[in-house]
Amino acid sequence: MNNYILLPVVGVGMLLIAALISNIIKYEGGANPKDPRKRKVVFWLFFVLNPVLTYAVGLMTSPASGIAKTKHMDSLPVGLGIGVVVYLLLGFILSKVMKTSKVGNWF
Amino acid sequence: MNDQLYVIGVGGTGMRCLESFVHLCAIGMLDGKEINVLTLDTDANNGNLKRVKDLINSYRRIKSGVLNDGGTPNRNTFFSSKLNYYHYHTNYMKAGDRDNYRNLSNLSGQSNTEDENQMLADLFLDKETVQVFDLKHGYRAQTHLGSQLMFHGLVEAARKLAKGTNITDEEKSFGEFIDKLEQSGKNSRVFVFGSVFGGTGASSIPVLPSALKEAIKTKNKASDLNISDVKFGSTLLTSYFDFNRPTSTQKESSKESVIASSTFFPLNSQAALQFYQGDPTVQSVYNKLYHIGWPLPAKKLDDSKKTETITGGADQKNKCHFVELVAACAALDFFTASSVDTTGTAKYVFRTGQYENGAFNFHASDLVGVEQNKDQKLISKLGGFLSLAHISLSKNHAGFGEKGFLGLKKHLENQNIDSFKTSITEADLDELDKYMRNFGYYFTDDGAFKSGWIYQIRNSIAPGKFIFTNEAFAMSIKELKGLDVGKLFEDPNYHWESALTLSGRDTYQPWLKRLTSIQVSAEEHQLTHDKEKFIALLHDGIMISQQQQN
Repeated sequence: MNNYILLPVVGVGMLLIAALISNIIKYEGGANPKDPRKRKVVFWLFFVLNPVLTYAVGLMTSPASGIAKTKHMDSLPVGLGIGVVVYLLLGFILSKVMKTSKVGNWF
Repeated sequence: MNDQLYVIGVGGTGMRCLESFVHLCAIGMLDGKEINVLTLDTDANNGNLKRVKDLINSYRRIKSGVLNDGGTPNRNTFFSSKLNYYHYHTNYMKAGDRDNYRNLSNLSGQSNTEDENQMLADLFLDKETVQVFDLKHGYRAQTHLGSQLMFHGLVEAARKLAKGTNITDEEKSFGEFIDKLEQSGKNSRVFVFGSVFGGTGASSIPVLPSALKEAIKTKNKASDLNISDVKFGSTLLTSYFDFNRPTSTQKESSKESVIASSTFFPLNSQAALQFYQGDPTVQSVYNKLYHIGWPLPAKKLDDSKKTETITGGADQKNKCHFVELVAACAALDFFTASSVDTTGTAKYVFRTGQYENGAFNFHASDLVGVEQNKDQKLISKLGGFLSLAHISLSKNHAGFGEKGFLGLKKHLENQNIDSFKTSITEADLDELDKYMRNFGYYFTDDGAFKSGWIYQIRNSIAPGKFIFTNEAFAMSIKELKGLDVGKLFEDPNYHWESALTLSGRDTYQPWLKRLTSIQVSAEEHQLTHDKEKFIALLHDGIMISQQQQN
């Protein structure tokens, strides 16, 4: 599959996993609850992991050799960049749209 | 029903009944009502009086907006009644002048008139004991003396008010109360809390309507109030607790020449009931009398480590009993009835509870009946408030010395609900925590568990049951922190919706989530400021959760 499509899809997948984990983190009691911070950490952790994982996926899906491989590898950084931007942009939009939910703690 | 409501708590037992009544107001059983509360005692430093005074003031601070005016009545929320607080205590503090009957009535035997007074006093009141015991701890079960002195105390205050000089705070407060009563006249319902077996309450209940009438007429000579138009209700609360017997050292002192002994409480109760059954004055001024008793051996309510009788003062701070909740529910019945039958003599009312396997198992209907689903309302509201108490105390650690409601406010802010960010202060939330500690429990700095009102009420009927499971009254920090706040009821129909979490099913997490999506209607709840809105939000979250079962 084209890196321009695959890698943003991986980014979206990472975002969904971050959202899932954020939702699993319980609301804490007391006057100094740490749960919002934990959710924020999860989001940015996946933001850091995103290029690493997307790059790995890009490598794994790369053709063995030839022009196809060169093309694939050339498009990898761009796809990776798109994936990161998609993660960040969608994460921001999601956090603002669902601001009273747990993902609202991301931003 | 547009009657103005008045509650009078008299003596130690009256104060504890009043405490239960205030909690009924806090849970929302008297929605939209404004209630004028008067505490009446002989002992300004009495521990029970101080406790209820603190509770009412705390309630009023919780409801107050910018002005410290006790807020306004609300609908369908917690703290929905407005309480106006008035207080009066008779003045027996001045040693050698007003500290016993002999000094107070000036029986020095100097003139013929005074000789006659002395002879009259000697006829009814024992010269060596009743005439000389220290009055500042109350009437010590000497009701023949107490009725006379309480009547005198109220009229004396009215006389000073009419004169307008050297008026104390207590007298001013009492004056405001009787002015209000006079204004509402026949559109008034007055409920009196007190025991019939002790001292101050038992002395005051029979004479209170007449004393109020006399005080009103003394203060305002133009008053045309006919006291028999005012609807009066009271409890005929018989013996239900026990305390230490007086030590021989106590008995030797002339100041302590009379000490109420709880050994005589059953006998006092019997004599009092005979009196209430036969006295035409009581029967004509009271419209409804609620017989309340406790058939099991009396429990020792004295919480102190002292071995002598605590006759009064700051040390008299007894634990609460289920019977006092029953008395508070009697007032609820009196105030919420569509009308009060004022024809003929007093109506006597009683209910019974289910007794089996050596304990009482009470249902909400035993306390409030089933009319207008009052029983369901009591379960739902009391349970909802207990859940809220555990949310503050156990889940947000106010019971362990932290700030519980601040945690809830922070939760809302973290979830981007900023409506309360600046309008509710930390001091406002601390007041709510304080109320919840009084209601539920708290741990002292050295780790000792101290039970609040509802724990004490529950403990007084243990091993019997009332509405809630045993788990709802956990006492260890571990159990309390792990408590499922939405599953406190015996009847699972009231359990909250739960959700699956990593540590199993839980009702608290969905409740917190729900809070962020509720729109509170200020109009529907008749709210006037953000603190009331915050409380209504928590209330609505709980009520919706009770209805959204799995």
